[in-house]
Amino acid sequence: MTMNKNAKLLENLEWQGVSRRTFLKYCATLASLMALPPSAGRAMAEALAQAKRPSVIWLPFQECTGCTESITRSHSPSIEGMIFDMISLDYQETLMAAAGHQAEEALHKAMQDNMGKYVLIIDGSVATGLDGAYSCIAGRTNLEALREAAQGAAAIIALGSCAAYGGIPKAKPNPTGAVAVSDIIKDKPIVNIPGCPPIPVVITGVLAHYLTFGSLPELDKLGRPKAFYGETIHDRCYRRPFYDQGKFAKSFDDEGARKGWCLFELGCKGPVTYNACASVKWNGGASWPVEAGHGCLGCSEPDFWDAGGFYKALSMPADPLKMTAGAALAGAVAGVAITVANRAKKGAAKAAHETTTLADLEK
Amino acid sequence: MTLERIPIRVEADDLPMSGNAPAVLREIGELLHRLAEEGVGGAIDLRSLPFLPGDRVWLEERLGCGEVEISLQAGGLSTFSETRFPGVWWVVHRNPQGAVVSEQVEVTRVPDIIVADPNDVRNGLANLNDLISGLS
Repeated sequence: MTMNKNAKLLENLEWQGVSRRTFLKYCATLASLMALPPSAGRAMAEALAQAKRPSVIWLPFQECTGCTESITRSHSPSIEGMIFDMISLDYQETLMAAAGHQAEEALHKAMQDNMGKYVLIIDGSVATGLDGAYSCIAGRTNLEALREAAQGAAAIIALGSCAAYGGIPKAKPNPTGAVAVSDIIKDKPIVNIPGCPPIPVVITGVLAHYLTFGSLPELDKLGRPKAFYGETIHDRCYRRPFYDQGKFAKSFDDEGARKGWCLFELGCKGPVTYNACASVKWNGGASWPVEAGHGCLGCSEPDFWDAGGFYKALSMPADPLKMTAGAALAGAVAGVAITVANRAKKGAAKAAHETTTLADLEK
Repeated sequence: MTLERIPIRVEADDLPMSGNAPAVLREIGELLHRLAEEGVGGAIDLRSLPFLPGDRVWLEERLGCGEVEISLQAGGLSTFSETRFPGVWWVVHRNPQGAVVSEQVEVTRVPDIIVADPNDVRNGLANLNDLISGLS
């Protein structure tokens, strides 16, 4: 498929058989998802219709491709599908046909042709251990690739919790020295779109905002767009009224669970997690974790992987893993901190003639 | 297959309410007042509010059905149902798979998206003229 790169967005969409009303509907939905006033839908439609497609370069680092899966599994021709018509995605390893040297040439050509103007999307954390040698593409470390690509970028989108915070690669004991994009790049505007994976429409919304207003959306203290991360899962949760009434499920198969009561006591991290799952939902709006009967894991918050047990209620003492100085050192080298600490706990329990339970190990 | 066809339901005793629906009704009243006085309405996004099934039923019952029902086929079905209060519309946008992507109460004389755009009218005229000139 060839589209005129210089044509305006609506012209390109019309060329593909997308009507003006479909486009208006898309803008109205997007504006409502971004918590913009209803009048913004029309303004957004007018601005987007005139927008030219910006060049986007998407680099994957230490990641599982879940973020790409999330974006591409959205139901075409949906809101999220349309974003690929709004941008000129010049480099994306999973989606592009080119491979090897051809792919590398495409990357450098896109960077040169659009120097200073392209949007750089990063998914995955950046390995810094052994000078970045833990993660390389085409013989170059992610660290080098990021520094080079960031130079010519107008803005950077750190997509997913790994790029935004370091994510699961950074989980203790972080053997590769994984860090977030914002730990390396300090002189470019960076938008964090965390989530494991992030909600597809959030990236669409950020790009639409960039195209509409020529600027990045307002961000919170963790660099996340406030439109989507402005409120907690708990605040927007349809089970919230049960929390207010003190009605809680105590197990995953009790009367409370069957009646759809609040999952707080089963470890839901909704009260401390800022994300849009409760209103936007997942899989084309079909459902979302809490609606499926499982508490929120808090995947859009920093270090969610190391924030205590997924099934431990927030009201319980966090009691994070206590590492002695010696154990911490050993952990940094060999990743055995957890083993050491748990062995110590088991040893103590054995000495006190107590039974070690699964719950003890999870602490 | 739409989600509604999966025969599993969360048990709920007498459709519980959160207490948010009456507040939304008052907000609709404010918007309609503004439409009447200043000609400017507004919209309320129903999916971004903590609503329990009872809230929705309560609000739907209060707003009722009016005289106009519009359906739009554009990237999935959208329905615009005027309530028994002229100028208050219950709007549901669906994607091509039938899943609801947006649900709003819109307070306006006619929803914006329904009105034909001048550019589309001009394009339509050109197409119609082509058709007419082809007549023998």
